[in-house]
This record gives sequence, structure tokens and C-alpha cells, in this order.
Amino acid sequence: MKILTCIKQVADMESRFKPAGGDGLWFDENDLAWRMNEYDEYAVEQAVQLKEQLGNEPELTVLSIGPDRVVEAIKKALAMGADRAVHIQDSAAHQKDPWQIASIIATYAKSKGFDLIFTGMQSQDRGSAQVGVLVAELLGLACATTLVGFSYADGQINAKRELEGGLKGVVSLQLPALVTCQLGLNVPRYPTLPNIMKAKKKEIEAIPVDRLLAEQPLSPTTSFYSPARKGGGITLEGEVADLVPKLIAILKEKTTVVR
Amino acid sequence: MKALLVCEYREGKLLDASYELIAFADQLGVTKAAVLIGSEAAAPQFDGTVYLAEAASLGEYNPSAHKTAILAAAEKEQPDYIIFSHSSYGWDTAPRVAAALKIGQVTEIVAITDSGFEVGCCNAKMRRSVKPVTAQSVLTIQAGAFTAVQPAGTPRIEKLVVSADSKGVSFSGYEPAEAKDVDLTKADIIVSAGRGVGKKENIPVIAALAKALGGELGASRPVVDAGWVEHSHQVGTTGQTVSPKLYVACGISGAIQHLAGMKKSDFVVAINKDKDAPIGEVADVLVVADVLQFVPALTAQLQK
Amino acid sequence: MQPITRELYWNVGHGVVLPMYLLVAVAFGLLVWGIWQRSGYWRQGKPLNRFDHYDERVRRMFSEALGQERVFRVRDGGIYHALFFWSFLVLFIGTLLVMLQADLITPLLQVNLLQGEFYKAFSLVLDLAGLAAIVMLAGLFIRRFIIQPKGLETTNDDYRVHALLFAVLISGFLIEGARMAATELMQNPGLAIYSPVGLLVAKIMASLSPASLMITHKILWWLHFVLVLGFIASLPYTKLKHILLVAANAFFAPLEEKGAIATINMEDEAAEQFGSATAGDLTWKDRFDADACISCKRCQDVCPAYATDKPLSPMKLIKQIGEAAEAGMETSLVATIGEDAIWSCTTCRACQDICPANNEHVNKILELRRNLTLMEGSFSGDEVRTAVGNLEVNSNPFGMAFAARGDWANGLNIARANEGEPADILYFVGCYASFDKRNQEIAKSFVTICAAAGIKVGVLGKDEKCCGEPARKLGNEYLYQMLAQENIETLKATGIQKIVTTCPHCFNTLSRDYKDLGLEIETEHYTTYLNRLIRDGKLKLDKGEPQTCTYHDSCYLGRYKDIVTEPRAILNAAGWQIREMDRSGYDSFCCSAGGGRILAEEKLGSRINVERVKQAETTAAGILVSNCPFCLTMFEDGIKTGGYEKTVKVRDLAEVIVERIGGANR
Repeated sequence: MKILTCIKQVADMESRFKPAGGDGLWFDENDLAWRMNEYDEYAVEQAVQLKEQLGNEPELTVLSIGPDRVVEAIKKALAMGADRAVHIQDSAAHQKDPWQIASIIATYAKSKGFDLIFTGMQSQDRGSAQVGVLVAELLGLACATTLVGFSYADGQINAKRELEGGLKGVVSLQLPALVTCQLGLNVPRYPTLPNIMKAKKKEIEAIPVDRLLAEQPLSPTTSFYSPARKGGGITLEGEVADLVPKLIAILKEKTTVVR
Repeated sequence: MKALLVCEYREGKLLDASYELIAFADQLGVTKAAVLIGSEAAAPQFDGTVYLAEAASLGEYNPSAHKTAILAAAEKEQPDYIIFSHSSYGWDTAPRVAAALKIGQVTEIVAITDSGFEVGCCNAKMRRSVKPVTAQSVLTIQAGAFTAVQPAGTPRIEKLVVSADSKGVSFSGYEPAEAKDVDLTKADIIVSAGRGVGKKENIPVIAALAKALGGELGASRPVVDAGWVEHSHQVGTTGQTVSPKLYVACGISGAIQHLAGMKKSDFVVAINKDKDAPIGEVADVLVVADVLQFVPALTAQLQK
Repeated sequence: MQPITRELYWNVGHGVVLPMYLLVAVAFGLLVWGIWQRSGYWRQGKPLNRFDHYDERVRRMFSEALGQERVFRVRDGGIYHALFFWSFLVLFIGTLLVMLQADLITPLLQVNLLQGEFYKAFSLVLDLAGLAAIVMLAGLFIRRFIIQPKGLETTNDDYRVHALLFAVLISGFLIEGARMAATELMQNPGLAIYSPVGLLVAKIMASLSPASLMITHKILWWLHFVLVLGFIASLPYTKLKHILLVAANAFFAPLEEKGAIATINMEDEAAEQFGSATAGDLTWKDRFDADACISCKRCQDVCPAYATDKPLSPMKLIKQIGEAAEAGMETSLVATIGEDAIWSCTTCRACQDICPANNEHVNKILELRRNLTLMEGSFSGDEVRTAVGNLEVNSNPFGMAFAARGDWANGLNIARANEGEPADILYFVGCYASFDKRNQEIAKSFVTICAAAGIKVGVLGKDEKCCGEPARKLGNEYLYQMLAQENIETLKATGIQKIVTTCPHCFNTLSRDYKDLGLEIETEHYTTYLNRLIRDGKLKLDKGEPQTCTYHDSCYLGRYKDIVTEPRAILNAAGWQIREMDRSGYDSFCCSAGGGRILAEEKLGSRINVERVKQAETTAAGILVSNCPFCLTMFEDGIKTGGYEKTVKVRDLAEVIVERIGGANR
């Protein structure tokens, strides 16, 4: 069996972001800490668990698009148990829209005969939640998103989708398929030191993105900015009777949860 | 300009978020038609066409059949925008429609601006404007970002006949939510109690506020340690790390271990007697007041 | 006039000499053989070089064995044992002298040393020693069997050993009494007074006929002899083996700085096992320590985890390691000891510090943790996993953006050493002082104090990373080395000659552990640094209003680095009076955050930090002064949790000193 996991390296969300110089359509990369997209950790873990369940027979490939720094994230996936990796070298990955990203992955995966593809359900930085499903459509794979439960037997996946309000949808998919993973699907393992050391020897195939990209963006970014400071750290002081309506008004204005 | 609104149907009912789609379309200033894979009785109440396919035959979750139904409606309507709620149904279905038509999609819109549709990014710390370059586009809108309109009007129902082919995906039903064990990580609203609450007997005051807001009760570590609140409510580095839309910190000073657990919250209200409490640094609003006086008053007002 | 001496081998005759020495040789042969046998078991452990610096080791062994300092550090039982030991030693030397005299000096040199004034002194000293030995042994006996201190385990071996020792001592006096009854009592009463105990026994036996006395004496002599042979031959199999093993452990004690742990070689591609998983991973020293342990329970008595009902007992841990080793090389150590016990340790070092047998408790736990973390990816809790993830991404356990690490210093006159700005010292701030509001006060205070002393402070700002110590103590050697390498590179690039830190954990790590990874820059904790500034007159303090406090010796400053007097000197120089807690100095009680546990939640038993705050409250000093960001955090927490807000306030030493900056410095 051949399994593919697509991961993205994102900036740590605790960082302070500011629009970059130049076209200013994405953030400045200086002083940022990087990590694997949290949703993708669950994808990698599930793929590794499936591989182990099947006696380590499946070959698990991990793929990521981006500049050289994404190799860190790739190495983590290899240390978690992926067999080999593909690094699609692209220093301008952040400028591509989901359609382009999906087409790159689909072009790569097309002739490889993957039985199952795991992705995270969305990325923490852009959060478009499109790439996984787009890849499935481009490759003609059965697809379900937002998995919080996964089991596999005899060519069939039995899964649970996380719906609103704690409700779950029970679905099954026939291979070949693509699934997108939600937080809490499993407990991503902490790589052991022997596995970290083994990972250093695993193959990382580098492919320049131009060899795989043929699409123009369909939904480009037109601007990127900080939101107007929500309530800008206001301090409310005074009589309780006055403060209560003031606060409620602010909550109604600034949040979507009070109506 | 025309919009095709994709309404959602679950467990035999139309979901209320469908009326947010109408509100959004109104704000956009476009004419509206809707498509629903559900039942005639559940059709959204507005003056316009509702393209209806039967959930009884297609299933409430059948991505490829739903896609086909939506495409059929779009073929007839020729909309400029095909609009979904950004829900577990919306984000699952929308890209399929976009791929089939090879058009751009904008995800989780929070506002309409001159330069395009505004979406959040980087954990809602930043904003992007996106403007599809294709003639048609798929949009998904953030839950609650556009206030739902009241149902008003009578739709014209047009039935669709769609093949139920599920293309390898089959849906066997729902699993109800578990009686919990508090999972704060998925809560949208959390109201947390800190030492400033004073004593165990005062915790219900905070819990009442949580309930009035429709949220969960959280707690800082000293409160859990003192046994006032059970451990599963603890927020912080040694408890749960949470990212709700609204976090209300009552009588919490803001020790770093607590901050680290809730700093991803979208909007933070802190209620504290101490104007200089560290939590003020991360709070969007700091209410300088006695927790035991302010919170009951706030709860009472919300309950009206 | 009777000669002032005694006839050696009186009554038993010189014919006993040959069989005596033969039997003694046999007994010693059995002793050696027994030890040799057991050494095969020790040698099954992995190698460890504890044979270097031979002379230093030998000196230490003799000084500890003879000086008994570790033994009487704990008065209960310690006084008895020390006095018992010295008395027994005197008796042994006395017997040795008799043997030498009888079988070597007399035949070869025809000179009798055991006569005259020397003999009088000799007799008296030996008698008093024998008496002291019996009294002390009785004390030990009463303590163990009657008082029965809680936690002291008594086995059949204890019964046998007590019986044997009593028998040896009492039979000795009986022999003396019998001899004196038959000789000195009548013939040389003036001499008899110099053996007062013997005299007493002799008087009791005086009613026996001379013939009975002589038979009794002979029997007792052989009985005593056999008992002593038994003592020697059975040594390897009874508790008495500690005589050799504890002395040996003083020889084998580590010569490295306190707290040194093996730095794993990450380049070694052949390494398959990191840390200790099974008995086969133990070193010979681990096995030896289990044998050297005499179950005195002193480690258990001072362990903060044990005191608060965690499943950890340092004594039990040492013994369990021995049990696992005996059960076979494949025996799982985690299954034997239990994960909860392994994670409960705060590495406070109280156990190792107080152990009279020089056992090494702490590093065994660290090796167990290394296996759990590096080989199994296991953590004591999800919160630790999260903190470790944060260290990996943002180089601090809070998950705060690393770029903000230097923000606390905004507006202060501090050099950006990471950008090459010159400074007198590099202040290694640490994660807590950088990000935690309460602890930022310490950083700011320290900078203010330095400025008053004319010292220009430089910091690494956002280029500083966690020193890696908590990760290391939780077993994550890989993450520690990664962080360390990056810090070392940054530090070296500044060209700075001196590092000062306000955190004892950073201090230990940079001054000791980082040496293995190539850092040679001198690192000091701010307490000794400030103390020197005061002594050299560069920093002047106003005594101001006299104030009282109690001072908490952090584990990593006190026990690890012997820094106990300097902070107190600073407090005194600032006009503060210290009301000490019972457990202070080297006996200090941990705040609970060491051993990486600052990252973990305390789920078992009661709270260690609340316990310590309670101890502070008992002094009624009102103010608790600490010197460590972890302690400060734990005590602020403990005050809240324990409800001590009205009675205890905690402040760091820097905060206290900054208020007392005096005169021209202001």
C-alpha cells in the first residue's frame, strides 16, 4: 500500500505578525518561529498508525511545499515514522492560492498510485480548508473531512467526522481515498531519539516547484493587514450599574458570540 | 449580481445558519436563490427560488451527490456567487463545487470590503482581503459574522432530480454528543474563576455567568488546587490550553502559567479589582470591579 | 613489686597461636571469597571509571570512615553509631597490638611495649572503649527495637547482628573478668583499677574457684574467638558488610562537581539505548549502591516527595534497583519502580547529600527518565508534552513568541550583547525572568543594582534561549543539547568574559553542564557576584530600618553549589535579620519545582510548596526571601493555595537589596 501525507510548515501562532515589505501581501518572516501545522501532526500520526497496523508493509511518503526551512517539519514527520519525503522547493509558496497548491500536489501524486492520502483539515496560518478536498477532486478520490475517528480494515475506512455541538457523523470510505484530519483525532507521538537519528538518513526527494505548477491563482490576496484593534485594551472603571451595559455593548460589537 | 445560497439540513431540520446566508447576500446586494438537499417542509422562508433535492434519497451527508445537486442548481441559476456557511458541511462541500467549476473560493468571510472579502488569518491575529479572479466564485461565511435575518416570505420550490451515487463515501448516521467531562478546548465561550472569587461558595456565581453566555466554566490553577472547581475545568499550562471566541477571566491575576493557556482567545474580558493585574496586558477589556458585585449584575442583565 | 603488664595467652597457652592464625586466615579467606563472589554480580553492570585520582579517593575514604562525619550529621542514631564505631575501632586496635606484641615483637625483638605507664593507659582506654561500645550498642538496640522510628525496617539480619555484637563485647569483658579474678585481683590490685569494667566483672566472678575460673576463661576465650571469626567470615552476608562497602563507596564517590550528569554523545550512531530501561543498562555502581545501602532511611526522611505522600522513596528506589538487577538483566526497571515514583523526584539532592553510604540516587532517576523520554516518548503528563513542544518551537516553555523575550528590558539602559554592544557582564536572564511578570521584577532589580555599582549589563535579548535544564532533568537530553549548542554559540559570539544569572538552574547549567559542550566563559550566580561587589566596596547598601525575614536556600544554590553564606551576608549587610527555618542551609526543604517539575503538575499527595510556606510561616518572620525564580513562583502559588496571604510575603533577594542601595550609589 502507498500512503501520502501532505504537511505544511507554518509560523508559530504566538509570533507577532506584520505585513512584509514588497507587496505586503503576507507577513514578514523575520523573528518567526516555525512548526508543523498542528492539524497535519494528526494526519502524520494517523498515517503512521495505519502503517504500523498493517505490519509496516505500506510505504509512507510525506510531502511539503516551501523554501528550505520546511525541511525541519519534514524531518519531524520522518522521525514520527514516515519512510521517505518529497520537498517541493518553492520560495514563494505563500503567494500561491489553494487551487495552485492543490494542483501541485495532484500533479505530483497523479501517477504514483497512492491508495490513501492524509492531510490536515486546514492550515493555521491561512485557514482556507480547501487544499485537501481540492486534491481529492483533482485525483478523483473519495473524500471526507474533519475526521476525529479513524479505523481501517480491508480496503475500507470507517471514520467519524466532527460536526457542530459535539455531534459526530459516522462515514465510511472506499480506497483510494483522501481524508482531512481534525485536532484530537489521535495523540501525535513524540519522536523517540532513535527515530530522530534514523530520520536523518531517510531520503528527501527535492523537486523544484516549476516542474509541477501549471495553474494560475483563482482567488489571490489583495491586501494583508492587522485588524483594527478590537477594543484596544480598554479599561472600564466606575459603578457596576454603569459598567454592565457598557461591557455588553462592547461584546455585541466586537464578538460574534453575544447577540 | 446573483447568489446561490447553499442551506444546510441536519436531522430532519433546516439549520438556522441558513438565515445568515440571506443576511450576507443582502449585505452584498445580490439577488438570492437557495439550494437545499433536505425536504420541502424545511425549505428556508424567503422570497426566492429554492432548488430542492430530497435528503431522503441522497442522504444528509453524501458529498458527491450534494455537489451534483448544487451544480445542477448553479447550472440553472448561473449565480455569480455560490455561498455556504463555514461549517463542517460547508467546508466539506464548497471546495468540491469550486473544483468542478474551476472557480476561486474564499473561505470563512468575516466582512465585505472594497478590496474584496475579508477573512481572518494567523489565528485571527491578521486579516486578508481576497478577490477571486474568476467570473463565478464560491464563498463560505463565518458562523455568526452576519446576523441572521428573520424568516419572512414564501419560497418557490423547484425540484432537482439527482443521482444518489456516493462515489465511495457512505454515511451511516450520527453519534450524539457525549455527556462530558469538560472539553474546554472546543468551547467557544469560557468564563473562568480565579482566586479573586474568594471562596468555593462563590463559584456558582461564575458558573451562572458561563451559563448565561452559553459557555463553559473554566478555572485557574489555585482555584482547582484549593478544590473549589474540579480539575477538568483548569485552564493554563498545567491544565487545558483553550482558544475560545470569548474568554472572561474573573478574579484572575494573570500569572504566566494561566496566560499561556488562554492567550489564543479571540476576545478577552478581565474582571479584576486590581487595575494593574497582569491579565490586563492580554485583555481586550479590563473591567476594574469587584468580581462578586459585577458578575451577578452582568449575569442578570444577560438573562433579560 | 608486680610488673605492670599481663601475661599474653595466659591460661590458653601459646599452643593456640598456630591454630588461631590458621583459623583467622580461613575466616579472612571466606570473607575475601564472599566479597569476590558478590563482585561478580557487581561487574555485570556497565563500566564506569571510579578508580582515577587514586590518592584523592583513598584520602576521602579514610577521612569519612574514620571521621564518621556523615554518620553523626543526623543525631538520632548517628551519635550512637559514631561512638560505637570509634570504640569498636579502639578495641580492634587494642587486640591488634596484643597480637603484634605476642607474635611479632616479643619473639623478634624481645621487647615488651605493653607494660608500665603505657600498659595502664592501654588497659584503661580499652576498658572504657568496651564500655562505651556496649552502651552505644544498647542505645542503637533501644532505638531500633523499642522506640522503632517510623519507616525503619527491621529484618532478621538486624536481630542476628545485634546479638553477635553484644556477644562479642560481653564475652570480651567476661574473659577479662575471669582472668583478672584469677590474677590481678589478688596479685596486683593496684593495676586492676586501670581496667575498671574488668574489675567489676572479676569481683562478681571472684567466688569461683581458681580451677573453675581457668576453665571458664578458656571456654570464653574460644567462644569469643569463634564469635569474632564468625563476624569476619559472615561479613559479606550480613548487614556488617557495610563496614567494607560503605568505606568503598566513599572511595568510589564521584569526583565531578555536584550535579554532573553524563552528556550523551549524540554523534554516536551505534548507540541503541539511551537511559536505563532494564537491569542490563545499569552500571556496576548502581548495583554496588544497592548493596552499600544500609536502609538507614535518612534519604527517605529528607525527601520532599516522600514527605508529601508521593510514591517515591529514595531508599526504596536504591533497593528496587538492586532487586531488579538480581532478578535478571531483562528486568524492566520502570515496571519495578513505577513511573509515578520516577517522575515525582525534584532532584533536590537532599537524599544524596545526607546518605552516609555515598549512594547516588539522583542520576539513577535521571537515567530512568532518559529512557522514558528518549526511547518511549513518554511524559509525566500532557502539560509537560506541551511545554516541551513550546521549548522546541519558541525556546521557552510558555509558548510565548521568542521574539518578545527581550521586551522586559525595553526602556532600560542595557547593552544588546547579541548585537555586539559592549558590556561588563552578560546577564543570562532565563525564561521566567524574561516572560513572567512577577519574575521580571527580579531582572529589573538586578539591572538597577548593577547600575548602582557601575556595572554595565548586557543581555542576549531574543537570541537567548532556555538553558535547557528542565528538559534535561526530565530526560530529554536531545532537546537540552540542541538548546545548549545554540546558546553556547550565541554566548561565544558576544565576546563576553563573564556571565551572571539570577536563576540557580541556569547557573548550574551554564557553569557546569555547558562545559561538556564547549562553553568556557565563567558563570556566576548573582548572590556571590553581589556579595563580592559589596565586599569590594563597589556596591554600598544602606542598612535602613532593621527588618526580619526567613531565608530559603534553594536546592540548586545550597546543596548543589554550596552557596549558603553569601546570600546571608548580603542580607545582613542590608540590615536584615534572618530567623532561620528548621530546615535551612544544606537541610533546606525543596520548593517542588526542580527536576524539570516546574513544567509539570503536582497531582499526587499533598503540595510540597504549601508545606514549605507553612515552614516559613512558623518562623513568624513575615517575609520569606528566596533566590530562585522557580522558588519565587512556587511560593507565590503556595501562599495563595495555602491561604497564607496575611502571614507570609515572598520576595526575591534582588528585590530586597534594590531597596537598600545606599549613598553615593543611588
